[in-house]
Amino acid sequence: MTVAPEDDFAAAEFALGTLSPGERATLSARRLREPDLDAAIRAWEERLAPLAEAAPPIEPPGDHLAAIEARIRAALPPATAPSPDAAVVALRRSMTRWKAGAIAASVLAALLAVGLVAREMTRQASPREYVAILQKDAASPAIEVTVDLDKRELRVRPVAAQAPPGKAYELWIIDAKLGAPRSLGVIGAEGRSTSISAYEPAVVEGATYAVTVEPPSGSPDGRPSGPPVFVGKLIPVGP
Amino acid sequence: MSNGGEATGGEGGDSGLVDLLRRVAARDEAAFAALYRQTSAKLYGVVARILSKGDAGAEALQEAYVRIWEKAGDFDPAKGSPLAWMATIARNRALDEVRRVRPASLEDMPEGFEPAASPIDPLASRERSEALAALLDCLGRLDDEKRSAVLLAYYHGASREALAKRFGRPVPTIKTWLHRSLAQLRDCLAS
Repeated sequence: MTVAPEDDFAAAEFALGTLSPGERATLSARRLREPDLDAAIRAWEERLAPLAEAAPPIEPPGDHLAAIEARIRAALPPATAPSPDAAVVALRRSMTRWKAGAIAASVLAALLAVGLVAREMTRQASPREYVAILQKDAASPAIEVTVDLDKRELRVRPVAAQAPPGKAYELWIIDAKLGAPRSLGVIGAEGRSTSISAYEPAVVEGATYAVTVEPPSGSPDGRPSGPPVFVGKLIPVGP
Repeated sequence: MSNGGEATGGEGGDSGLVDLLRRVAARDEAAFAALYRQTSAKLYGVVARILSKGDAGAEALQEAYVRIWEKAGDFDPAKGSPLAWMATIARNRALDEVRRVRPASLEDMPEGFEPAASPIDPLASRERSEALAALLDCLGRLDDEKRSAVLLAYYHGASREALAKRFGRPVPTIKTWLHRSLAQLRDCLAS
């Protein structure tokens, strides 16, 4: 394993957890196509991992096993549904291609810039603005969601994310108070704005936002037809 | 159904967990449930110290177990203990959450946290591996403040900015501290 000393420090700080959000995201993207860097990060994780083992246990609030099992089942292709898994497989393939491409770091840097710029722009604009970057992980393409609670408006747009051919991305709002996921509509390549006046502000703020791959006109039965490919939560960007 | 703190601390043992992970890799749901029962308090201990606010800790715990289910086949017993492998997954979920693209929050550092109380589990001695003993020995050779900085970062997800505030030093100094401390740890562990 040979990495430059500064990369080994970056790997060490990645494992320790002290990289800035931008540095962490950049390193997450680089490790996908730099095996030596990936090995350096793993080596540091292994050096420090005994500390995690030594941490005293804390009983989790409530039993999460059922919820975890439900999430695992949701991530598996449903046996009876009309083969939404084809779309997911296609998307995974396109993700793999995307990862294999040499654009990971530059796209990610642009993505981060977008998020930061959006935050700077909205900071003066309204104290009740929120942004979410929906991602599978820090190295994947993303969907950006911004919410203006005063205007009751939600804007969504893809950032370096493209639905598989013949498919569309559909946005969902998920919250325990709502029961089943509610559709916020098909996203489209240019993104769109939609009203969220039907939802209580507290629900909008606390909800999980998820994107699934659907037929071009959206889910046929009003329910997600496959597992989410992007998820995220809103972060306040107001002062 | 109950899995008390003490029970989860040392139950199972490495070989038991290795076997469970192997069965989980083969999609054995009963083994997964058993794995959760034996390790959830340990992993929650890791994520909850980093994500102390709201439900984020529980969310990260769930995500970590989904990932453990997906990745169980990647676990290599030659490279470390099963608990260390799972804890690293859980910790990375928690770090991804606190280091989401947004300004680092100084409030993330709990008030009044005493570095002296860094959470080394006194009851975990029976599962203290040689690796932990070596790491603790090497950590013990760092200056007090630098050791505290490393432990605050590791256990509580403290950012450079939070450490700078806590120790009253500029961020570049903290970065230098961390680099020196980590290099010292690496060399000490290799010797």
